[in-house]
Amino acid sequence: MATETVVHRAGAGSGAGVVDADPITTEVIRHGLNSAANQMKRALVRTAFSPVIYEVLDFAVAIYDDQVRLLAQAPSLPLFMGTMNYCVEAAVRNVGGPEALVAGDIILYNEPYGTGSHPQDGALVMPVFYEGEIIGYTAIKGHWLDIGGKEPYSTDTVDVFQEGTIFPGLKLYKAGELSDEIYRMALANTRVPKMLAGDLNAEVVGVRTGAQALVGVVERHGLETFRTSVERMFDHGEAVVRAYIEKMPDGVYVGQGEMDNNGVTEDALPFEVVMEVKGSTVRLDYSRAPDAQAGPVNCPIPSTVSASRIAISMLAGSGEPPNEGHFRAIEVVTRPGSMFHPLPPSPVFLYGWPAMQAMEVIYNAVSKAMPDAVTACSAGDICSLVWWGVRERTGEAWADGSPHPCGQGASVRGDGANSLLHVAESATRFSPTEVWETRNPWLLERVELLPDSGGAGRHRGGLGVRMDFQMLEDSYVTAVIERTRNPGWGLEGGEAAGIANRGALRKPDGTRTYFGKATRLLVRKGETLELTCGGGGGYGPPAERDPQAVHADVREGYVTEAKAREQYPHAFER
Amino acid sequence: MTTRLGVDVGGTFTDLIFYDEATGETRVAKAPTTPRAPEQGILAAIAAGVPGDRLAAAAYFLHGTTVGLNALLERRGAVVGMLATAGFRDVLEIRRGDRVDMYDLFWRQPEALVPRRLRVPITERLRADGTVHTPIDLDAVRAAAEQFKAEGVTAVAIAFLHAYANGEHELAAAQALRDAGFDGELSLSHKVSGEYREYERTTTTTIDAFVRGRMSNYLERLETALTDQGFDGSSLVTRSGGGAMTFAEAAERPFETIMSGPVAGAEGASEMAQAFGYEQVITADVGGTSFDTCLISNGRPTTLYEGEVVGLPVQTPWVDVRSIGAGGGSIAYVDEGALLRVGPRSAGAEPGPACYGRGGTEATVTDAAFVLGMLADGSLAGGVTLDRDAAERAIAPLAEKLGMSQEEVARGILRIATANMAGAIREITVEQGQDPREAVLMPFGGAGPLFLSLLASELAITQILLPPYAGNFSAWGLLGADLTQTIARTRITALDEAGIAAANAGLAELFSEVAERAAHDGSVREARLDMRYVGQEHSLTVDVEGDDGRISVTPEQLRERFRTEYERTFGLRMDDPVEIVSLRATVRTPLPRRGSAPVAAGSAENGASSSAGIAGTTRAFSFADGEWADFDVVLREQLPVGARVKGPAILVEPTATSYVDRGFAGSVHASGSIVLTTTEA
Repeated sequence: MATETVVHRAGAGSGAGVVDADPITTEVIRHGLNSAANQMKRALVRTAFSPVIYEVLDFAVAIYDDQVRLLAQAPSLPLFMGTMNYCVEAAVRNVGGPEALVAGDIILYNEPYGTGSHPQDGALVMPVFYEGEIIGYTAIKGHWLDIGGKEPYSTDTVDVFQEGTIFPGLKLYKAGELSDEIYRMALANTRVPKMLAGDLNAEVVGVRTGAQALVGVVERHGLETFRTSVERMFDHGEAVVRAYIEKMPDGVYVGQGEMDNNGVTEDALPFEVVMEVKGSTVRLDYSRAPDAQAGPVNCPIPSTVSASRIAISMLAGSGEPPNEGHFRAIEVVTRPGSMFHPLPPSPVFLYGWPAMQAMEVIYNAVSKAMPDAVTACSAGDICSLVWWGVRERTGEAWADGSPHPCGQGASVRGDGANSLLHVAESATRFSPTEVWETRNPWLLERVELLPDSGGAGRHRGGLGVRMDFQMLEDSYVTAVIERTRNPGWGLEGGEAAGIANRGALRKPDGTRTYFGKATRLLVRKGETLELTCGGGGGYGPPAERDPQAVHADVREGYVTEAKAREQYPHAFER
Repeated sequence: MTTRLGVDVGGTFTDLIFYDEATGETRVAKAPTTPRAPEQGILAAIAAGVPGDRLAAAAYFLHGTTVGLNALLERRGAVVGMLATAGFRDVLEIRRGDRVDMYDLFWRQPEALVPRRLRVPITERLRADGTVHTPIDLDAVRAAAEQFKAEGVTAVAIAFLHAYANGEHELAAAQALRDAGFDGELSLSHKVSGEYREYERTTTTTIDAFVRGRMSNYLERLETALTDQGFDGSSLVTRSGGGAMTFAEAAERPFETIMSGPVAGAEGASEMAQAFGYEQVITADVGGTSFDTCLISNGRPTTLYEGEVVGLPVQTPWVDVRSIGAGGGSIAYVDEGALLRVGPRSAGAEPGPACYGRGGTEATVTDAAFVLGMLADGSLAGGVTLDRDAAERAIAPLAEKLGMSQEEVARGILRIATANMAGAIREITVEQGQDPREAVLMPFGGAGPLFLSLLASELAITQILLPPYAGNFSAWGLLGADLTQTIARTRITALDEAGIAAANAGLAELFSEVAERAAHDGSVREARLDMRYVGQEHSLTVDVEGDDGRISVTPEQLRERFRTEYERTFGLRMDDPVEIVSLRATVRTPLPRRGSAPVAAGSAENGASSSAGIAGTTRAFSFADGEWADFDVVLREQLPVGARVKGPAILVEPTATSYVDRGFAGSVHASGSIVLTTTEA
């Protein structure tokens, strides 16, 4: 086991307070930049071709300055949002640096160790010019339904080359002109060329929209004012986060978590993240994590840093869209060659799952420092299903995929929320049944809350969801369901969730086989995939739950009477 | 005779405008809103503004109401039960899984309008194409009726999967409930909306059930009260999607009136845009708490086909009025990172801004404006006199925290509020492919005219239309509404000859369904199509001119129209095939037009001298100059038609104060509007 470690500053620059920009102009510019990012997002959603983009919102859009510091991003997939600077840096470096860029260039980039994702998450990066000079970059990373790889979605890759075609930074547009060679190359490497073409075009519309909007902000205020205000904006973000961390007691807190397995072997994969709080700085040390795995649960550096950024800035950022400054108080330590700092060609297809678990582990560590600052654990996963097949009648290839919602942890503030997507994907959505059944050969048998799935406590954990997908034609599915053995933990005496995540395949004769991760599972016509998304953990001792709340839960069917009598006997005394 | 009165019930005031077509006379009145029984405030406004015998002469009573909205905001409505497809009764809670406030770890979804025990699963199932997969179990419906009666349910929402494609199961369930003796209100999802997406349609259906009783009671009480006062004309309510509907229709489709209030201003602005021939108008309706803005394109407000209120989706046409928490009462504060912030918290009507002297201690936008001299000497409508000391006391702590002067802070408050508003305006313009600089800005509402110059400068807008009765303009907007009914249906069709034939057949069905609801003489049919490139989900709505609601162009022409619209919106032209997604039918029945917009100005005989209306000068801060300057104080009502208005000036009228900075000048139009443009400094 190597012991060498690397320290990453999560936010560039420092708030030495040397900048003396007008606080009011700063606020005006901040609004302008957030509005520019929102314009990018809307353009992308309205023009995209795949439901993963327009329904699920599986993407991030961001605007950076010329030093690749985050100016603004629109609400989208948080786990992506924290990786975008790495995409921009690597994409620009690989085409020869900023000197090699001209106005109208758009770079295509999807190298996993640079994007932090698998090859399916492709980034477009566009330099933004103002009066002949680069003033920043706009970037979109979106999930493509397929870009080659051994399957449309896999849980068992053993190296990165099985995961998809890699575009290591190529100019898709040169000075505004489409490079037909690269475009055709991309379309030749996907099972769903129409969708990829449509989504690439949508991403082009998006980065251009953002570039125009950024130039608009600079034109209105002048470059000098823009630059000083941006520094002030970063300093402000930093101050907000530091003020929060100051309130945390100094100390070393160890967060614990576990993944079910690495996708190719069955062994459980426990790991720890050490959180050190010192003054207004927090250091998250991943170096004790296991070595890089043989299966695809390795998390490249950008996503390790991203998980750290969003976990902390969600707590400390006072509900604002984060910018570079929000990340400056965060340090991340990794060990090259480990699960959270894999080196090529380690497989990384399921990078998002260790990243999600890392967030839970960080919240576990925070709960040891300040139990009221976090919620108990959610079911801790997005229980993803990716589907594909060939339509019987038309012979056309189809594909769809979605994350699914689960129960959230309770907190000092109240019961956990029912049925929300994991906080790592907090702005994403899953599709309506009516849309699914219109597009895909499916009949949903139910999409229902799962009684008794929330953990007992003074405040009860939120309920998970049960969804049963009956296939009307033969289909394939890859399932990525984590934490099947590890329900969301309770907090401050609250109990763990009552039901954990699970997948099952039901034959028409009623027999079932159970699974967590599964690649290219054939689901025949008439068979049903049963997806159980578990509940959240409880907060506080169950004996302290208000008897009226217990009875209301029984009345509304959130908790069965039998379970309530077992968990809350005090509510049934007399 | 088309004498009419418009009454807009706002959060604080009930505004009235009475317009007598024969004499051209216009009367304005305001009365305090009476939230528990809004008709009381309306009667008070009528008593104040309409002379005794004149109400009987009015042909139309046009109404903008927030009764539906308030029922949702306050969660005061019917005890609603629901029938759902077995396996899908939790759709209201499961939603789409997203966190509306994505950076909030603790976020919880708004509580469903129907508690879980009253959401009864019914065995039945339709497929996406409307065919029956499992027949409906009506015994289960009858059992539900018993449960509803026992639980005191007064309204039932029936929302089955794929009912937009086939309403038979919902109709059968409704009949079974009636047969079992349930006599409360019923809302059926396929009647509420013909579009897919079960969370959105089901939620809309429960909203309809929730507000239905309250809305029909209110409209009945109001109608009776009006009749008692001698009114015997037609009573109409504005719809969230624009236009108006009769009280009877509104009682049947109350969910269509949720945004009735804010839409009236957008409707009025549309009428002005048409009268002036402006292609693009941006409204800036600023009240005490909120800023509402809408883009008017070619005389029509931008309309969406889904709205959102208190975190709930409403699947119905929706004039795209964006609201943000920025108004005269918005509170300024210094945050943890030592930046100055404004809103969305508001001092509201009580206690109101500090300078109102009603106990407010926090600095608001109005306080800042007053300190900067923008409200002249602070004598406002209704005899209110502002308290300068109180305003300064409120701003002082902010100045200390920021290490700035009070005046700098006050300027900052105005600039930040302006930036927030400008951000909302950019969302409805730039994001729609419209350049705000090419549009005309139309400020109104109590505080809108205060931001006239600031917003124009921030957005580089060069033309401004200050309407008559700026503070009561929403009520004025009511007067011009058309009777409007709409219906839409999802029906995905290829864009070829056969597809157009199918679409025309579908449109014919939709128009005949509308006719069944209510038929009005002199109506015009309008058809629109939602279209997209095959493979996309989101669509663009394309107008179909043609013969009375039929498509009369070729598939190629229609495809070209879509491509052009798509390129204009998104800047990209594609060769992919195009398909029709939804059909939208609108029946519009114009009310008799008014001769012209009412004139608020003094008559021209007063003489158009350059000093007309000027009551003196006052010192105020000029944002254009970056320093204090002498501003003319102008009494707007005394300005004759044709009179010149030139900044720096402060225009005072009974319902609003306009701040016209240096660099803006214009004149009073014959309609009473003031048209301003930027001038070279």
